Amino acid sequence: MSSYNPPSQTAQVQPMISESARSVEYTCGDCDAQVSLKRGEPIRCRSCGHRVLYKQRTNR
Amino acid sequence: MVDRKAVPKPKPKAPPRGARTKAQAPAEQTHETATATATATATATPAGATGQGVQATASTSAQPAADSSKKRKPIPKHGKDEFSALLEPFYYGKALHDPIKTAEDKWNLLPAFLKVKGLVKQHIDSYNHFVDVDLKQIIKSNRFVRSDFDPKFLLEYTDIRVLSPNRQDEDDLDHHKSNITPNECRLRDMTYAAPIVVDIIYTRGNTKVKRTGIRIGRLPIMLRSNKCVLAGKNDREMGVMEECPLDPGGYFITRGQEKVILVQEQLNKNRVIVESAKGIMQASVTSSTHERRTKTYVIQKKGLMFLRHNTLSEEVPIAFVLKALGVHSDKEILLMVAGEDSAYQDNFAINFEACGREGIHTQEKALEYIGHRVRLSKKPLGTSRMRNYHLEAIECLSNIVLPHVPVVGTNFRPKALYVALMARRVLMAMQDPKLVDDRDYVGNKRLELAGQMLSLLFEDHFKRFNHDFKLSIDKVLKKQNRAQEFDAFSHFSVHKNHITLGVERAIATGNWSLKRFKMERAGVTHVLSRLSYISAIGMMTRISSQFEKTRKVSGPRALQPSQFGMLCTSDTPEGEACGLVKNLALMTHITTHDDEDPIRKIVFLLGAEDICLHTGEEIHAEGAYSVCLNGTPLALTDVPKRFLNNFRKLRRMGRISEFTSIYINHDYKEVHIATDEGRICRPMIIVENALSKVTSRYLKALRKGTMDFEDFLHRGLVEYLDVNEENDTNIALSEREINQHTTHLEIAPLTILGAVAGLIPYPHHNQSPRNTYQCAMGKQAIGAIAYNQLSRIDTILYLMVYPQQPMVKTRTIELIKYDKLPAGQNATVAVMSYSGYDIEDALVLNKASVDRGFGRCQVFKKSSTPLKTYANGTSDRINAGALERENKLHNAIGEDGIAQVGARLSQGDAYLLKAVPMDTATNAGAGTYKSMPQSHKLPDHSYVDKVCITENEAGTTLIKLLTRQTRRPELGDKFSSRHGQKGVVGLISPQEDMPFNDQGICPDIIMNPHGFPSRMTVGKMMELLSGKAGVLNGTLEYGTAFGGSKVDDMSDLLLKHGFNYSGKDYLTSGVTGEALQFYVFFGPIYYQKLKHMVQDKMHSRARGPRAILTRQPTEGRARDGGLRLGEMERDCLIAYGASQLLLERLMISSDAHKVDVCEKCGQMGSMGYCTMCESEANIRHLTMPYAAKLLIQELGSMNVKVVIGLEDEFPRPDAEARRR
Repeated sequence: MSSYNPPSQTAQVQPMISESARSVEYTCGDCDAQVSLKRGEPIRCRSCGHRVLYKQRTNR
Repeated sequence: MVDRKAVPKPKPKAPPRGARTKAQAPAEQTHETATATATATATATPAGATGQGVQATASTSAQPAADSSKKRKPIPKHGKDEFSALLEPFYYGKALHDPIKTAEDKWNLLPAFLKVKGLVKQHIDSYNHFVDVDLKQIIKSNRFVRSDFDPKFLLEYTDIRVLSPNRQDEDDLDHHKSNITPNECRLRDMTYAAPIVVDIIYTRGNTKVKRTGIRIGRLPIMLRSNKCVLAGKNDREMGVMEECPLDPGGYFITRGQEKVILVQEQLNKNRVIVESAKGIMQASVTSSTHERRTKTYVIQKKGLMFLRHNTLSEEVPIAFVLKALGVHSDKEILLMVAGEDSAYQDNFAINFEACGREGIHTQEKALEYIGHRVRLSKKPLGTSRMRNYHLEAIECLSNIVLPHVPVVGTNFRPKALYVALMARRVLMAMQDPKLVDDRDYVGNKRLELAGQMLSLLFEDHFKRFNHDFKLSIDKVLKKQNRAQEFDAFSHFSVHKNHITLGVERAIATGNWSLKRFKMERAGVTHVLSRLSYISAIGMMTRISSQFEKTRKVSGPRALQPSQFGMLCTSDTPEGEACGLVKNLALMTHITTHDDEDPIRKIVFLLGAEDICLHTGEEIHAEGAYSVCLNGTPLALTDVPKRFLNNFRKLRRMGRISEFTSIYINHDYKEVHIATDEGRICRPMIIVENALSKVTSRYLKALRKGTMDFEDFLHRGLVEYLDVNEENDTNIALSEREINQHTTHLEIAPLTILGAVAGLIPYPHHNQSPRNTYQCAMGKQAIGAIAYNQLSRIDTILYLMVYPQQPMVKTRTIELIKYDKLPAGQNATVAVMSYSGYDIEDALVLNKASVDRGFGRCQVFKKSSTPLKTYANGTSDRINAGALERENKLHNAIGEDGIAQVGARLSQGDAYLLKAVPMDTATNAGAGTYKSMPQSHKLPDHSYVDKVCITENEAGTTLIKLLTRQTRRPELGDKFSSRHGQKGVVGLISPQEDMPFNDQGICPDIIMNPHGFPSRMTVGKMMELLSGKAGVLNGTLEYGTAFGGSKVDDMSDLLLKHGFNYSGKDYLTSGVTGEALQFYVFFGPIYYQKLKHMVQDKMHSRARGPRAILTRQPTEGRARDGGLRLGEMERDCLIAYGASQLLLERLMISSDAHKVDVCEKCGQMGSMGYCTMCESEANIRHLTMPYAAKLLIQELGSMNVKVVIGLEDEFPRPDAEARRR
């Protein structure tokens, strides 16, 4: 098992994507409501105010 | 008088039938759960009484249902949930209508006890006591804050309360009901805490202002304490809060981590302990009051007796001390210490010679003598250099020496008596060495719990809070003229963070530092181990001792006879902490502090006379016993036995707290009453006139639910005994053994074991160390953790895929509900030799069983990434834009830059595209980020199970990613039965090759019979037998300690089903198809999979990373390190003479380094040039370990010159000539 790869310190500067990023759907940990969040939005369920959100399962 | 039970309880003859709802029989409950109204009419019991009860429960449950209506699942309208019926103590074993025999069924009191007290009740009780009582006392003793500059200013605390827990950002909202849950705190890395509020009255200008509900800080809340949101909730409500109803509670959640304050064991405070060492006999007392903690000694040295104390610069002769304490004549002193006993008198009389020598015959002189020897704690400032020795001596004697004996006014008599008592103890121990106390005796121990620890901590922080407040108002009040009226309140809330942070930090780090007592203790708290349900429970009952581990004394580690029933006899770690870390037994209770005053009154009401009114002669007269309250002599009685009986009667009536203990010490002629905290005690059935007070009638009422454990206590059927009182009683182990001397009866003998040792079936048939080994291994078993195990995100979490409850259970298993959260599977075991891959405890596993899911487990690992914010306002972020679809390593990433739930992560795959700002200090390069993708490190792949995005209290975004691996058993995984018999998988054999019996049953595990003879785990064989009988009979059998299913019965069952009575079966070999030449011991044994798995340990390397400093290969699997050839291996190679191998292992394959050494000066040069000699002439190239080269250079940096001397091993004959 010599499959060691050293910690990659890839320090290349990357261009950031445009601010109008697509929103991603999350699930509220308390009320199961769908919450769509964009970048930089506060993490909070819109219907119950709970602050624990879970990412939805992929359908890929 | 204490009057706890003013209202007399209903007589046992007519228990109110079904009047109390919690007492409803399970049969009725199924009805009840339908609807409240329907039941009121439907039940057969008198409609009025039952209907009321049902409505009452319905209305209480309606409330939580209403305010949590936003929750995912609506709470059903009915009060009791059907599930809790299953958790009722009498669900097990017997039905309601079964006959009751007291001899066998008295153990029913045990579940009843655990129902009221619970497994970790000691923690919760202690915390509740702290919140409800101690806090108020701390406030009371620090209630005034005054100013140095304004004499008119006064702030007074009138009350203190702890509110219900809330989030920090809700702290400012009034009348807001928080819906915080402990699980939210775990997920969001918050502290589960509640605000502390005080009521104050303070001076503003010339008026007094009263303010109520002022917040002074936040206090972490213990789970399941009375302030916790889980208190009094039923299983369904717990489920809604994503909390496990079986979780014991008793821990804190700080910064998202579960922290336990372990129980600490200490020598008891405020009691005289007589010790002897090297010919010195001494009596010592550690006094502990709210203000001070000091230790006072009375020592006997060379025949003379002295008082020693830290504040006295030298030892003071005892006669001087007693004189100074107001015992005037020598005769009085002599009588007080020695009484009429001439032997004691002869021994003590020599102490009066000092009086003549020093000329100290009066109290004045004695005080002056002592005053000269008082060490001043604070230097008197400037002017008054003159010391008033009298006052100093009085001050010292009244407040510093033995501070726990209070001096009221100028009454030094109690203190004089106490010093005399200490002296007498020394005298007595000189005469009779048996009277030297045993420090390891459990009765001389006190257990310190979370409440006491927090109380110390809080008082310290509260005092500092007041001090800070005083300093800040003094700053304002110092100025004579102020523009506006000064309102001290504006300075009040400024410091509230100090208390909050101080307490939180102490719990989170475990560093208890108290300025007041100069106490600095590390490792007070521990992270609650969630390896398995058992490990969490085991941690809650653990007791750590203050002894250092390095000392080579066996006393503290040895098993003490007095720990019978109090501390588990089996559960202790092996190795260095062996015997120092203990565990509580199943039915122990640890007392909290009770008020002394009512006891004092009762002592006098019972006819004892104040000891201060008596002379020494009377105190030590024949037949006179002194009554001591918490170790301090209080009264004198001539009829100790009657006094004791009356006192016990009062306690059994409930007039005195049930945790008060009383016992007679005939050696010292003392009756001891204890009300202090930290005593270990346990309940026992009272026996009177050779008859147990608990009869079948009461047990019937208990089973029906009309009586609970508290009722047994209040009616005087059961009482708590602490270790000292236990020594004063005759306890029968079973009802058969009761005779006319018996005073008490054990409830159940299995309670001498703790919760962890209680898992072992038939432990009384095992060799004792095997039980100890199992106690250690039970905590490593993989199984179910809690009902909420899948909604938790732990750092590491092991779960078994198909856990089973054991076929052979014990009562303890049912009581701690291990059968609900089991950790193991019932494997069919054949005890036989097979294939040779089973030597040295290795196991052979059936491949088909493994395919079916035997021993399969899941491993969840968390990786938590906070998006940090830096000083210049920049912060980490997730850069979804860096996602490259064609990049293989980004396969798992979703659109938001975080791995998709369900995606597979192989080694090196990124799961989070984090970007970190390039510049975190200045504002110059804002906006530039470097990407730092987080990637999966482990060599084995895992799947993303859960991605949780949340915010902590500080507002930082937190991304928690949970990965999952499902593992099937493989070669080298560790398994163990419940008898300390561990083994690794040596072979996974195809089922076709496994032996089978005539029914076609194939074993899951083949175990080598060599595991039995030397281990002597007969319990394991009995488990197999009972398990096999249970399988055939369709029952779960019991292997309870000192009881359980009998082997004879099990053999009969086996016979009945056509099996051999000894559990042996005829097997056919799967390899040859021939009958095996022998019968095989064959049946189910409960096997645990332990957390040590090959996959986490397997490691090899050829070449790889090296440490920077030494250039040697790194260490450990996590760093892909090399395998060390250690000293012992090196010794072997040296001894063998394998020099080239040695050279290769230690240098060439490690840190070989080429250096240029100058032969002439012995220094290292470089590039073939010696800078010292400034020549290339004598340079030699040689290879040496880099570590050696480093050592030479490090020594050089310390001005130590190291010269390398070179010589030829095989000198050329002509070299000598050439040199000449």
